[in-house]
Amino acid sequence: MGLGLLASRTLRTTTILSKSPRIFASQDPSNALRSIVSTPELQNPEAAAAAQPNPTPDLPPRTPVAGARVHLPNPDDAIEVFVDGYPVKIPKGMTVLQACEVAGVDIPRFCYHSRLSIAGNCRMCLVEVEKSPKPVASCAMPALPGMKIKTDTPVAKKAREGVMEFLLMNHPLDCPICDQGGECDLQDQSMAFGSDRGRFTEMKRSVVDKNLGPLVKTVMTRCIQCTRCVRFATEVAGVQDLGMLGRGSGEEIGTYVEKLMTSELSGNVIDICPVGALTSKPFAFKARNWELKGTESIDVTDAVGSNIRIDSRGPEVMRILPRLNEDINEEWISDKTRFCYDGLKRQRLNDPMIRGPDGRFKTVSWRDALAVVAEIAHQVKPEEIVGIAGQLSDAESMMALKDFLNKMGSNNVWCEGNDMHPCADLRSGYLLNSSIGGLEKADVFLLVGTQPRVEAAMVNARIRKTVRATHAKVGYIGPATDFNYDHQHLGTGPQTLLEIAEGRHPFCSALLNAKNPAIIVGAGLFERKDKDAIFYAVETIAKLGKVVRSDWNGLNVLLRNAAQAAALDLGLVPESGKNIESAKFLYLMGADDVNLDKLPDDAFVVYQGHHGDRSVYRANVIFPASAFSEKEGTYENTEGCTQQTLPAVPTVGDARDDWKIIRALSEVAGMQLPYDTPGAIRSRIKTVAPNLLHMDERDPATFSASLKPDFCQKMSLTAFGTTVENFYMTDPITRASKIMAQCSALLLKK
Amino acid sequence: MASVVRSVLKAIGEKGIGTFIRELKEEGFVRCLSDGNLLQTKIHNIGATLVGIDKFGNKYYEKLDGMQYGRHRWVEYAEKGRYNASQVPAEWHGWLHYITDHTGKELLAQKPKRYGLDHKENFSGEGDEYIYHSKGHTLNPGQRDWTRYQPWQPTKS
Repeated sequence: MGLGLLASRTLRTTTILSKSPRIFASQDPSNALRSIVSTPELQNPEAAAAAQPNPTPDLPPRTPVAGARVHLPNPDDAIEVFVDGYPVKIPKGMTVLQACEVAGVDIPRFCYHSRLSIAGNCRMCLVEVEKSPKPVASCAMPALPGMKIKTDTPVAKKAREGVMEFLLMNHPLDCPICDQGGECDLQDQSMAFGSDRGRFTEMKRSVVDKNLGPLVKTVMTRCIQCTRCVRFATEVAGVQDLGMLGRGSGEEIGTYVEKLMTSELSGNVIDICPVGALTSKPFAFKARNWELKGTESIDVTDAVGSNIRIDSRGPEVMRILPRLNEDINEEWISDKTRFCYDGLKRQRLNDPMIRGPDGRFKTVSWRDALAVVAEIAHQVKPEEIVGIAGQLSDAESMMALKDFLNKMGSNNVWCEGNDMHPCADLRSGYLLNSSIGGLEKADVFLLVGTQPRVEAAMVNARIRKTVRATHAKVGYIGPATDFNYDHQHLGTGPQTLLEIAEGRHPFCSALLNAKNPAIIVGAGLFERKDKDAIFYAVETIAKLGKVVRSDWNGLNVLLRNAAQAAALDLGLVPESGKNIESAKFLYLMGADDVNLDKLPDDAFVVYQGHHGDRSVYRANVIFPASAFSEKEGTYENTEGCTQQTLPAVPTVGDARDDWKIIRALSEVAGMQLPYDTPGAIRSRIKTVAPNLLHMDERDPATFSASLKPDFCQKMSLTAFGTTVENFYMTDPITRASKIMAQCSALLLKK
Repeated sequence: MASVVRSVLKAIGEKGIGTFIRELKEEGFVRCLSDGNLLQTKIHNIGATLVGIDKFGNKYYEKLDGMQYGRHRWVEYAEKGRYNASQVPAEWHGWLHYITDHTGKELLAQKPKRYGLDHKENFSGEGDEYIYHSKGHTLNPGQRDWTRYQPWQPTKS
């Protein structure tokens, strides 16, 4: 029955409609056509604007967008503008968009990025300004005194809707298969500001995808030509790889010739791309961003300690993203940090193992493994016990290792990279004293035996930012290497250093005339026999150039490993230079870059770590430990800022936290360490290095290096070496990573 | 009764006593002494027509006169020990359950050659290999590996 009834009803309504054309005639004829504007008052913006009452001036104060703050150095330079009738005081030279942010209005934008130059080509940020005939692009328009900015008027809304329609015209409708889906600016803003229908019926443009290398996947059809990636590459990364080709609808982003993007910061274009044109190649089609659990952690692949967010799904780390920290990494991270995560899933040690008499490893229980190690540890003489902490060790486990070995009667414990007995008495002797953010104040840089681009990419980005902003001079002593900013290659070895120290070198004048000179010494020099002489020469230069003053400390050491600074703070320094040769019991806590050639054959080696990398092949007993993504650990970065990793994923197999293993071993060995909780071990650390408890704070060195006794040693004239051979593979995690292996195969210059 | 004894004696005479006893066993005449259900089927079979035998050897009987409608078709399973209804293949199911009057043989002639799985009896309770196990179950031979990392393998020395 229903069908017939329905049919007759529809027939009736259609006949009624066709019989009464007055319904259509009563409306504006333009409305009868398919209209893009969904809200009727936008049809006639001027009339609707006139109809609106003037906004009341006393509005409740709004919170600025994303914690935007205004710093008014000179109150006279402040101007007042009105955003939607709400007055804000901003310094001169700010753009309309920034003024709106201070006023708490978030202007939609695609091409504008606060850390890049202004392009003003997406037109999404159009706002209405009183007495301006057209809507203005707020990102490129400087705010003028008394400007009345209206962000919520029909004119502004219509302008945004129109821009959005143009942007979506040539944008493919592939959100369901796009990796950016869910965190896409275009998706979000088209929901918020776009129309509910499109009028585009023609064919969409398609663009050939570019091969940018093993890290960045391109789907160039999705590109909306915001040029953020081009500006990032030229301004921040300092590589002239990307550019804009063509005009009009033929406009494309690309490399001019087929070329891979060879920058150590290339992964950041994934983050700044507002659409899915540039996405992460290793992460492609692996997960959706709303399935991921974010854990705020820090990076340990270099000594910078970049702030990262580890996105995990279940037991897997799916990706690593940067976190904003103005003092350390701003909002960028290096490719090694971003893409090392697949190393966390490969070559993992997951069970305690003992090497049998036949030379083969056998999986055993923790109880057995600990008992064997404890027994051997008691058989050797105390001075034959040696412990080495790896470059990824956290402060807690290094404290436990040192305490344990001290209880055993040995003090031969150090951290990788510190094996030549550096002076750990004065913190200023091994920290980046002017701080990473403070490097922006420097106007002359002298890099001694360090290649910051590979040793600490984020520090290099900071130097590049300074060089770009203030044309600071950079002098470099060391082997020929790549720089992505202007620099003078002064020499290759200590000879040049001596010339500068004696004032014979032409670079001296630049150093003397500089207001804030910065000397950065690479931690690779720690491994030289004549390091004391080199540091003495550097200090002479510092005195000469007045590098260390009460208001400016420009004498810096750039460390290489995440564990190095904390190890020196905790006093993990070897007693003499020849420890490994006489070792009978060697405890390696994740130390894979130690040269074990000189180790006696009958030495008993315990390897505690998370990756089967290098040292594990020499080990007699293996203790599986957790990686940085699986534990809570304190790390101190090269500038002395203490930060903490947090567990993002569970440990693998039967692995345990590093300090817990040593604590358990101490109990089995009958010399129980007096702490059972992370809190207890931290109160022990407090007695040794209280600065390691001040989380997310930079504790500057209290005494400057001038307190150091003068020291004279013969300086050998061998040139400085390269510290990091392969930027992409420096530690057990990155060496296990397939992506990093691909990168080093494709991107490193041969 | 006399005729039965006579035919039995005749059969023994033809086949020999050993073969006769073996066939008696195979046909379930021995087992029906302990299995009343089978015995009743055997008693039913007397005077019924054998309509067909399927590929498993199940025998389908029909007796029209003297039987209540709805009880006039039945099956004697080939398997005398653990017989169950799922041993009837699809083509005979319809005939046996009065859905159709076409016998299994007739229906089989119409079966498309290209598809259709062979009938398989329900093995529930017949052992672990016949039970459904989820993809993560230990007894599933194709158990999924949920480990998301590769352990280090101590290869040499």
